[in-house]
Amino acid sequence: MENSQENIVLRVEGLSKAYKKGVFASKDVSFSVKKGEIFALIGPNGAGKTTTIRMIATLLKPTEGDALVDGNSIISAPEKVRRCLTYLPDEAGAYKNMKGRQYLRFMADMYADNKQQSAEFVKRAEEICGLGERLDDKVESYSRGMIRKLLLARTIMSRPELAILDEPTSGLDIINALDIRRMIRSLAEQGMSFLLSSHNMLEIEYVSDRVGIIAKGNLLEVGTPAELLEKYGAENLEEVFERVVSSR
Amino acid sequence: MKFASLFKKELREMLSPQTIIMLVFVLIVMVGLSGMVNGAMDEAQEESSKITICDLDDTDFSRSVIKFLKTPTADMKNDVKIIKLESDDYAKEINRLGLKSFIVVPEGFTESVNKGEQAKLIYVSKMTSLSTMSNVNSGSETAVTLIEAAVKSALYTDKVSKGQLTEDEVTQLNSPVDVQEQTIVGGKSANISQLILYSASYSQTMLMPLVVYMLILLGSQTMINAVAAEKLDKTLETLLSAPVSRISVLSAKMLAAAVVALLNAVVYMLGMNNMTSGVSSSLPDNYTEMAKQLGLNFTTTTYVMIGAQMLVSTLIALSVSIILGAFAKSVKSSQMLSMPILFITVVPFMVSMFMDISSLPGAVRYLLYAIPFTHTFMASDCILFGKTSLYVGGLIYQIIFLIVCMAIALKIFTSDKIFTASETRIFGKKKKHAEAD
Repeated sequence: MENSQENIVLRVEGLSKAYKKGVFASKDVSFSVKKGEIFALIGPNGAGKTTTIRMIATLLKPTEGDALVDGNSIISAPEKVRRCLTYLPDEAGAYKNMKGRQYLRFMADMYADNKQQSAEFVKRAEEICGLGERLDDKVESYSRGMIRKLLLARTIMSRPELAILDEPTSGLDIINALDIRRMIRSLAEQGMSFLLSSHNMLEIEYVSDRVGIIAKGNLLEVGTPAELLEKYGAENLEEVFERVVSSR
Repeated sequence: MKFASLFKKELREMLSPQTIIMLVFVLIVMVGLSGMVNGAMDEAQEESSKITICDLDDTDFSRSVIKFLKTPTADMKNDVKIIKLESDDYAKEINRLGLKSFIVVPEGFTESVNKGEQAKLIYVSKMTSLSTMSNVNSGSETAVTLIEAAVKSALYTDKVSKGQLTEDEVTQLNSPVDVQEQTIVGGKSANISQLILYSASYSQTMLMPLVVYMLILLGSQTMINAVAAEKLDKTLETLLSAPVSRISVLSAKMLAAAVVALLNAVVYMLGMNNMTSGVSSSLPDNYTEMAKQLGLNFTTTTYVMIGAQMLVSTLIALSVSIILGAFAKSVKSSQMLSMPILFITVVPFMVSMFMDISSLPGAVRYLLYAIPFTHTFMASDCILFGKTSLYVGGLIYQIIFLIVCMAIALKIFTSDKIFTASETRIFGKKKKHAEAD
């Protein structure tokens, strides 16, 4: 894919995070995400995916480096960054004592500038999640798949420049996981950018435009799935990962 | 075999290192508290043998009565101190001499006894607190009983030697002394017994510390659970990545918890008020007037002043709870995190019920003053007994404490700590490995 400066939604530059002095959870990570692109960080549990994502989502402060979301620095302008992105944490829940629709309304109020816009966001989320009348039930009665759909709808209802999804299909059954992947693909085609993280490399191969392989906090390789498969003579991304890690 | 394994597993779950730390803490607190109560009891015992008396009658009989007070018995030896008063303004005199109580044997005391009339005796006591130990019997109060016995004895000896007793004389012997009790509060005095005053005031103010206690505990528990649930469900991550100020997130939480705590307080207050209404209706007729005369009545200003400290205390508890809630690693651990608040609330609550904290020895007193909630438990005493500087100082300290706690809570909410902190950093060893994924 061609890298044009004006089309870049996220630029990550040497991002590092050390929880203890000298022990890096994420080290010197650099990559970029273009408009309408699905970029996935793949790696095993503990590789540093969530740490990198949390820094971009302005939840953690980087030890070194910076990231620009739609031109705004996560260090100097985190408030502006938060207006440009939405974040879906891994295994996130929703407020259990709220009804699905109430939850969407509450979150829409956080992102909207006025009531009319908030109503538009809710309407869009209702269509995206496909939960129908179940939106009038309390979240505590939802299955894991339903909660994930509700949260995904919440993440994209405001049409952010960048949606960050941490393990978007973790713990879901095949049908629900497929639904969500299709939803992501379709929204990217409409121009929304995604930064995903997953340890399910086969899923990522199917859904993402480009992938970054991360292990022990280091971003080891970046490319399209096809490029990486060819470069490492592998049949799937799991094999690519194995070869990338063993070659370092 | 199976039961033993099950029992061991349950015990291991319930008797965590945190629980053991808390148990040790409770033990230390209880030992310390009982030491303080015992010390105060010893002091009260010593105080009950100290008799201060002013003999304005100055006759052979009054002197013999005083001599009788000095005579040691098998189980008691009184320390009798004779004082001279400069005026009959007893409030001024008790403060000038730095006494807790004294007895005045007025002029004409012997004459009344000889005439077969009830002899007047004045008992003056100073009230400085509503705590139990501050209102135990003083030596001078004991002396009133001894004087009555001495007069009785003298009269019996005299009358019996003269032959049969008349009906009036029997009446006199049954109640030979008319004790006029005067209680001093600050510079004001009123003709009412300190004991009656204490009982009546206590029945009216006993609700206050209970309400404070409930406010702090319910508020903090609600807040810790709210923060812990948000953190564990990761709804906090979602919220803090949204374009909303973190001060708004924090203050909305605090305000909601304060409202819930206040609702709880109102319910408890109404319930308790209903329960104690029976006590209030049995107060002496002149109580209200006398309490007003001494400044022990509750005015709107008093309620506003106590309310201000209650509010600040609640806000402190809530901000501390936010900090503690940020350390929760599981729903179960969030319950454990409220323990520090429970203990720093229980200690001043218990101590203030038994003792006048402002009169405790230096180190203990300042240790208790360091607990911000202490000042709210002391608020009624400070306001009613004119310890204004203590009240104001306490409130200023509480406000500073609140600002510091809020700053820490805000710092946690605006930093990585809210996502990386865990209760092991409070109660136990630190995590060995950094959170990495």
